[in-house]
Amino acid sequence: MKNRLKVLRAERDWSQQALADRLGVSRQSVNAIETGRYDPSLPLAFTIADVFGMRIEEIFQRE
Amino acid sequence: MAQSEPGPTRNWGSPGLWLGCMLAAIGIIAGLAITDAIGKYTAMLLLLIPAGLMFPLAKSSKQKNTACGGNSAAQKRYTRRVAIFTSAYLASFALMTFLQEAGEVAYALRVVLALLPGLAILGVLWAVGRLILEESDEFLRMLTVRQSLIATGLALSAASIWGFLQAGDIAPPVDLYWVTIIWFLGLGVGAIVNRVQFGTWGAV
Repeated sequence: MKNRLKVLRAERDWSQQALADRLGVSRQSVNAIETGRYDPSLPLAFTIADVFGMRIEEIFQRE
Repeated sequence: MAQSEPGPTRNWGSPGLWLGCMLAAIGIIAGLAITDAIGKYTAMLLLLIPAGLMFPLAKSSKQKNTACGGNSAAQKRYTRRVAIFTSAYLASFALMTFLQEAGEVAYALRVVLALLPGLAILGVLWAVGRLILEESDEFLRMLTVRQSLIATGLALSAASIWGFLQAGDIAPPVDLYWVTIIWFLGLGVGAIVNRVQFGTWGAV
């Protein structure tokens, strides 16, 4: 699964740590999701969507 | 009253370096013990070295995680629990070795002395289990589960292969606690696999 996390984060000028704090996860988690090494669970994907004020499918797409 | 500046923080180095040292130490001791180059008690005594290396490993991991904004409450509790049970292991093992060296020990006391280090190790295993249950970060939890599975796979594989070699009178009998030692070694291997695959060592 690919995602637009890095772009969306850059648009808001958030660091990985700042996004991690908003999501309540570690910076390593954000890094792993951004680099496509880890696909988040559905609850975490919903939280990410909420933080960016977007729908899940606007952030995550199938390869 | 003027506040004093905080002193320079000690750099504990790379967790990979300490992990490598710990794995190498376990490997060398296991090799020496299997080839009968050293006796059982010498091997058990030398195992205090990798157990002691857990301290700088935990410190360097903590330092690295803090720099990455990590160290969840669950990880802090895990580190504290492991420190307590490792200390209990070292103390009980030192007591056991000291009393056995001192002379004849009553059977009941021998049973207690032999149980104590095992129970301390049980505590470390419990701490790993609690970390998996208490970690709220799903990615870090997955890393710990992967590490534990790799460790379990390695320990059971080694026990099975060695057991059948032993049954066929090909390999000499070894004490069962080596399975646990291989499990801890497997946690190290799991951390390396996590680092390669996910770019981070994990919490354990």
